[in-house]
Amino acid sequence: MIGTRARATMWIVQIAAILIAAIVIIPFLMILLNSFKGIREAALFRLSLPTEWVFSNYVKVLSTSHIARGFANSLFICGSVVVLGNLFGAMAAFLIQRRGGRLKLLYTTFILGLILPVSIIPTIKLMMQLGIHNTYLGIILFYTATALPFTVFLLTGFLKSIPREMDEAALVEGSSFFRLFFQIIMPLISPALITVTIVVTVNTWNDFFAPFYLISDSRKWTIILQIFSFMSQYQTNWGLVFAFMVIVVSPVLIIYLVLQKHILAGLTAGSVKG
Amino acid sequence: MVSIQRSSQKSYPLYFGLPAIAVFATLFLVPTITSFYYSLTNWNIHARTTEFIGLENFRRLFADKKLVAAIWHTLVYAGSVTVLRNTFGLIIAMMLNMKIRGRNVLRTVIFLPFVIAPIVIGYLFTALYHPGHGLINQLLRGCGLSFMAIDWLNDPRYALMSTILVDIWRTTGFAMVIFLAGLQLIPKELYESADLDGAGAWSRFRHVTFPLLASSLTVNMVISLIGTMKVFVMILVLTNGGPGYATQVFNTYIMSAFSIGRYGYATAANLLLFVMITVIGMPVLFVLRRREVEL
Repeated sequence: MIGTRARATMWIVQIAAILIAAIVIIPFLMILLNSFKGIREAALFRLSLPTEWVFSNYVKVLSTSHIARGFANSLFICGSVVVLGNLFGAMAAFLIQRRGGRLKLLYTTFILGLILPVSIIPTIKLMMQLGIHNTYLGIILFYTATALPFTVFLLTGFLKSIPREMDEAALVEGSSFFRLFFQIIMPLISPALITVTIVVTVNTWNDFFAPFYLISDSRKWTIILQIFSFMSQYQTNWGLVFAFMVIVVSPVLIIYLVLQKHILAGLTAGSVKG
Repeated sequence: MVSIQRSSQKSYPLYFGLPAIAVFATLFLVPTITSFYYSLTNWNIHARTTEFIGLENFRRLFADKKLVAAIWHTLVYAGSVTVLRNTFGLIIAMMLNMKIRGRNVLRTVIFLPFVIAPIVIGYLFTALYHPGHGLINQLLRGCGLSFMAIDWLNDPRYALMSTILVDIWRTTGFAMVIFLAGLQLIPKELYESADLDGAGAWSRFRHVTFPLLASSLTVNMVISLIGTMKVFVMILVLTNGGPGYATQVFNTYIMSAFSIGRYGYATAANLLLFVMITVIGMPVLFVLRRREVEL
């Protein structure tokens, strides 16, 4: 009796879960199918195969937009922020965790950055005064500043699990402080560095807010700003828009499917143990 | 012993913190602090000089019913998305925590929208919400629910709700994954002893599952509140604050003041958002600090 009831529950849950997954998948399917349709047919947004397969959408997107340049800019900016965020964050976290004392105040200051919104207009003004507005350096340093609170928070927590005796042993054996940090500590905290890398990459790659305010030079636009400008221009031609979306989303999708275990673990690492 | 500790304390040179402090102080703390000053000035694109005008910007902000609406919309948006995202996230997490088939694939799929850029999701939904041919209205008409096939984004009565639904669709998977991780930490023995006591499904949820998820729920809720109060691009591409100002939120209001060159005024609005997030964000700080003690 209980057995049949439990089995019925399982079936209901199974079907409900598949329906929920369908709600997520179907819009993406709609993009893919309609990206191969002509302008009139694509505007009907049907979940049907194209009556005639149109590949010219893709050709036109690749020839008229500056997707390659956008990807290159995103990759360069993201890569730089990952390197600087990990390096500067790890150095600061190592100092804060090992020395403690008054540096706890510094820790709290960084943590504030996890919560507070940036003041974007004074940031623009400051960047102009420093001569880094509208430059790669400016946006890289801006992203690094916004990534540091999370980085310092996560790495300080992680460093607690690495005993101080390790440092002392290395220093007693005559290792320099730099060697201790780069050859012993950095490899030991690499799981946390991977988490930082994933969180920072997802946040930076997908961000619209910062480049929208900080970069007006279209040659320096990230892929996200290319999307914004392309859509403003072609939003009435849905076949073209969907082809554009497929091209822009594909690399992210492939990386997500390959690394999904790490990405899921990484993106939730900061909030689970709470 | 003491001397070893002292020498090791000193062997962590302070300059190791310098790069992080320099970048964070210059590009985060300085603009934050100067924003207090700029918000008290008439700084704008037309005036040659920037003059101190006291609280005039704030007086004008509160006299503008568009800003009052933006505050209200931001709160409604943040509150609704937070409550619904976490409710659905919890329900789906409990479903996927059962022994159903393909649950890893289902989890990967449901989380997927979270890694896609919000701007792409926004444009995708302008297609899905299309009043004539959009997939959502196609589906509703197909099910004989034509009366529900509304003009999602252009009708001021529904526009805000429609933007909220998009963010729920996008982020429920994130809440789900956090709850799943929390669920897996609950010892099975607790459920076994609940079964021995003859507890029903609801009672198991109320007395075992929910209390043990309380801490991840708290963190989840507050992180979600802070994120959604900063909402910008989603509103920008879905409705651009319209129709009228039916979906105007803080960040779209700030952007429009900025785009017509009212810099001091926009900074003052940004400062109001800052205050609002601080008031609601303090619990996060509290939770994080408590966690730090536990470590």
